[in-house]
Amino acid sequence: MLELKGIFKWVNTGGNRVFLLKDVDLSVKEGEFISIMGPSGSGKSTLLNVIGMLDDFNEGEYTFLHEPVHTLKEKHRSALYKQYIGFVFQAYHLIDELTVYENIETPLLYQDIKSSERKALVADMLDRFNIVGKKDLFPTQLSGGQQQLVGIARALIAKPRLLLADEPTGNLNSKQGEEIMELFSQLNKEGMTIIQVTHSEKNASYGTRTIHLLDGRIDN
Amino acid sequence: MIRNYFKIAWRNLLRNKSFSLINITGLAVGMASAMLILLWIHHEMSYDNFHLKKDRLYQVWNRYTVDGKVQSWPATPKPMASAIQRDYPEVEHTSRVAFLPPVKIDLGEKKFYGRGKIVDSTFLDMFTFPVLKGNAATALNDVSSIVLTEKLAASIFGDTDPIGQVLKLDNRDNFKVSAVVKDPPSHSSFEFQFLLPWAYLRKLGGNDENWQNNSVDTYVLLKENTSLTSIAPRLKALRQKYDKSDPDMEAFLYPMSRWHLYSSFHNGKEVGGRIEIVRLFGLIAGFVLLVACINFMNLSTARSEKRAREVGIRKVSGAYRTSLVAQFLGESMLLAGISGIFALVMVQLALPFFNELVGKSLALQTREPLFWLFITGFIGITGILAGSYPSVYLSSFKPINALKGGSKASKTLIAPRKILVVGQFTFAIVLIIATIIVRQQIRKAQDREMGFTKDNLVYHFTEGESASNYRLIKEELISSGTALSVTMTSSPVTENWSNTWDIGWKGKAAHDKTLVSRFYADEAVTRTLGLELVAGRDFDLTNFPADSGAALLNESAVKHMGFKDPVGQVIKDMGREWHVIGVIKDFIISSPYHPSEPMYIGGASGFFNVIHIKLNGRNPMKENIASLLSIFKKYNPEYEMNYRFVDEQYARKFADEQRTGTLATLFALLTIVISCLGLFGLASYMAENRIKEIGVRKVLGASVLSIATLLSRDFFKLVALSFVIATPIAWWAMHTWLADFPYRVSIHWWVFALAGLAAMVITLVTVGFQAVKAAHANPVKALRSE
Ligand SMILES: Nc1ncnc2c1ncn2[C@@H]1O[C@H](COP(=O)(O)OP(=O)(O)OP(=O)(O)O)[C@@H](O)[C@H]1O
Ligand SMILES: [Mg+2]
Repeated sequence: MLELKGIFKWVNTGGNRVFLLKDVDLSVKEGEFISIMGPSGSGKSTLLNVIGMLDDFNEGEYTFLHEPVHTLKEKHRSALYKQYIGFVFQAYHLIDELTVYENIETPLLYQDIKSSERKALVADMLDRFNIVGKKDLFPTQLSGGQQQLVGIARALIAKPRLLLADEPTGNLNSKQGEEIMELFSQLNKEGMTIIQVTHSEKNASYGTRTIHLLDGRIDN
Repeated sequence: MIRNYFKIAWRNLLRNKSFSLINITGLAVGMASAMLILLWIHHEMSYDNFHLKKDRLYQVWNRYTVDGKVQSWPATPKPMASAIQRDYPEVEHTSRVAFLPPVKIDLGEKKFYGRGKIVDSTFLDMFTFPVLKGNAATALNDVSSIVLTEKLAASIFGDTDPIGQVLKLDNRDNFKVSAVVKDPPSHSSFEFQFLLPWAYLRKLGGNDENWQNNSVDTYVLLKENTSLTSIAPRLKALRQKYDKSDPDMEAFLYPMSRWHLYSSFHNGKEVGGRIEIVRLFGLIAGFVLLVACINFMNLSTARSEKRAREVGIRKVSGAYRTSLVAQFLGESMLLAGISGIFALVMVQLALPFFNELVGKSLALQTREPLFWLFITGFIGITGILAGSYPSVYLSSFKPINALKGGSKASKTLIAPRKILVVGQFTFAIVLIIATIIVRQQIRKAQDREMGFTKDNLVYHFTEGESASNYRLIKEELISSGTALSVTMTSSPVTENWSNTWDIGWKGKAAHDKTLVSRFYADEAVTRTLGLELVAGRDFDLTNFPADSGAALLNESAVKHMGFKDPVGQVIKDMGREWHVIGVIKDFIISSPYHPSEPMYIGGASGFFNVIHIKLNGRNPMKENIASLLSIFKKYNPEYEMNYRFVDEQYARKFADEQRTGTLATLFALLTIVISCLGLFGLASYMAENRIKEIGVRKVLGASVLSIATLLSRDFFKLVALSFVIATPIAWWAMHTWLADFPYRVSIHWWVFALAGLAAMVITLVTVGFQAVKAAHANPVKALRSE
């Protein structure tokens, strides 16, 4: 599905070049469930953002569904991203001014989907995550686990083929975390490709493969 | 999508109440100010636009070259109209308009007063004053016909049909109402309540064929498909053909579209006129609105940290930048819409005061669809103006940075915001300086030595028998103790009606074309008006009957004529000699902003229109007036006596400048209020955003003062910079404004210092309040807030 080859990313601070990613090679096939692990500051989030096209890299090649991402224009890249990728954050990142329903609906607004169809899609999601009763509440009125469910529902609403999750259970208690992981493996079984960043071996064990990062380098 | 934006915008509005309040107040005040000015500008620009043939209508003006300088003025000789009609085939119609003083109108026992004009029968065909009753084509044919406006007709006749009714004017002639026309609208250059036919002027013997008597206005309607450029060169020959005496005089046509706003000529060229004030206030309207929009920009971008996360999430959810720009513009539009509604309410409430200020009767045309279109457009433009920078700025955030909360922008003033604040304060300081200088200039002119005494002095325009019974009236006024002295004059002491360069004296230079003012008085003129005699004596017909041919000179005249010993000199004017018997100090008869012109006051054989009465200050004013009215009633029973106080008339000389001063003050205040609102909001956001830093500093032992200083220092730098920029702008603007007044104040440095100080104090109060509040906050609370 995607392939990274010799990816380097660096920032220049005070005349020094600090490498965030060093010569990263990674190939992900359709239907994989990958966990990225590594110490804090090792570049996990950076790598995930590069895969998710939210962040640039300085050197190397990135092919996503046969498209050479490194040569694409910004506009084309976001179109690609919009169509195929969903993102889940540790801090949920819901819009406080919108209800659960509206938060989930947001990605659909940026795709040309009719209002009746949007309604049906959101209703499906609410149903699936068992949060129909909460659809008119605002994020601040939900527990952390519930908020993350909404975050995942939002990531999935546009039917992405790749789900990226940066420590999705980092702010949750273990029981809530387990539920989320169950959900991920369920999704994976249905064919969704998933890449998650995690600090927990237990969560990593839900995946099909684990990648270890150390100082911006893949540690085999 | 739109609904979603709207929803977000609305919820944001409610969630951030203080932010919304500051923004809406600021925008509403700014929009209301701009609307008021635009309303006024619209009215000024729409003058005479209701005439259907406006593109073909012209007034005849004269151009006269004296000493290489060109003078332009609109009065023409009476025979000019028919000469133009005869000699120029492009001309469809001409009409003359003659001035008529206010007249008394009698319907049986009932008395009315009205102002009218004498016009040619073509008038109603050329100009669009729709005829409601009667026949437009023939209404002004008969010598005894009169055309009334709707309002005057209604006040005289009420509901009865006025057509065919007979009115008596000034106790002399009877007129039959031939038509009723709509009232001239407020944006009409012609103002009248009735029209009389030219035939009537002929009957009075006033229709002279003298080409040197420039006494009426002449208007021309060109035929369709003719152009001014074809007739203009040939028109130069017109005067020469009929009047060889003045080869330097020529006529030209001045188009209707320029009458109201542009008709100010200098050396033969248009130099602006009212359009300059219109432009100035247009500029002010734009700036006030901009200042209000800047508030919105500043507060929106200062709040960016709060919006950054949303931007990040939306981008991660697939939003393009354009859709975010659209969303933020939508928010500013919503805010502008709400503010616009408040602004409309404010305008409606402020209109009566504003109308009084500008001397108009402006109104919101809420029944006109065009008005609402304009308001919508106005709100749209305001929304775009206010939202442009914030939407571009906010939508530019990179999603990962935004989600990390990386934007540090709102903790300090970043550059564009600085520029905006400086812009606001520059404008405010310029307005403060302008306000002070305009007021100084008015004060200076008001404090100027007038040269006459206005207390207890009233005047009366003679009418009916008040002129022929003048002696009797005067005697009784004095014997009854009502008046101390009385004099008859050619014009009010506050108005210069006549001047000439065609005046002779011994030793006059051949090419001297300096204008000398003419003024006539019968007797006791220095005593009644309180003029100061510096040589010779006043007119005294009892002891010196020859004083009817005597004259007084003012000091400027003595100086100009170069008389060493003025008393005993002779001056010649209008074919007769005047013997100088005295000299008076200059007095201000025309503009208090201009130096006095040379003037001679001729004696009793001059012409007279006005009676000046110095009332006895020992009696209560009420008694004096009552006695004045009853004495006039006795000798001029047909008329209600009209009188005016000289001090009130004199005060009117300052009305224009006072209006400019009041408007400048008003808009300076509004600008300051709006700018302060913005500053207040900005300061509170910055304090809020630095709450943790403040907490840490306090825990480490910083004093309240040092923290307050820390928070307000940046603002003071900006105000100081604004002051530096505003100073030369204000100096230049006021220098230009003052250049129009020969008698003017000089610009003092302390005015600038004062304005700068005022701006600093205002900033101190606005920002300092926030800073001290933040500095006083409990540090533990502050630290916990993270
Ligand atoms: N813009 C930047 N400038 C400089 N250094 C950066 C920048 N962004 C990230 N870094 C550094 O890059 C390294 C990798 O960051 P990253 O967020 O990817 O780590 P991480 O593995 O996700 O850590 P954590 O487990 O704590 O989330 C860190 O040392 C971080 O300080
Ligand atoms: Mg991380």
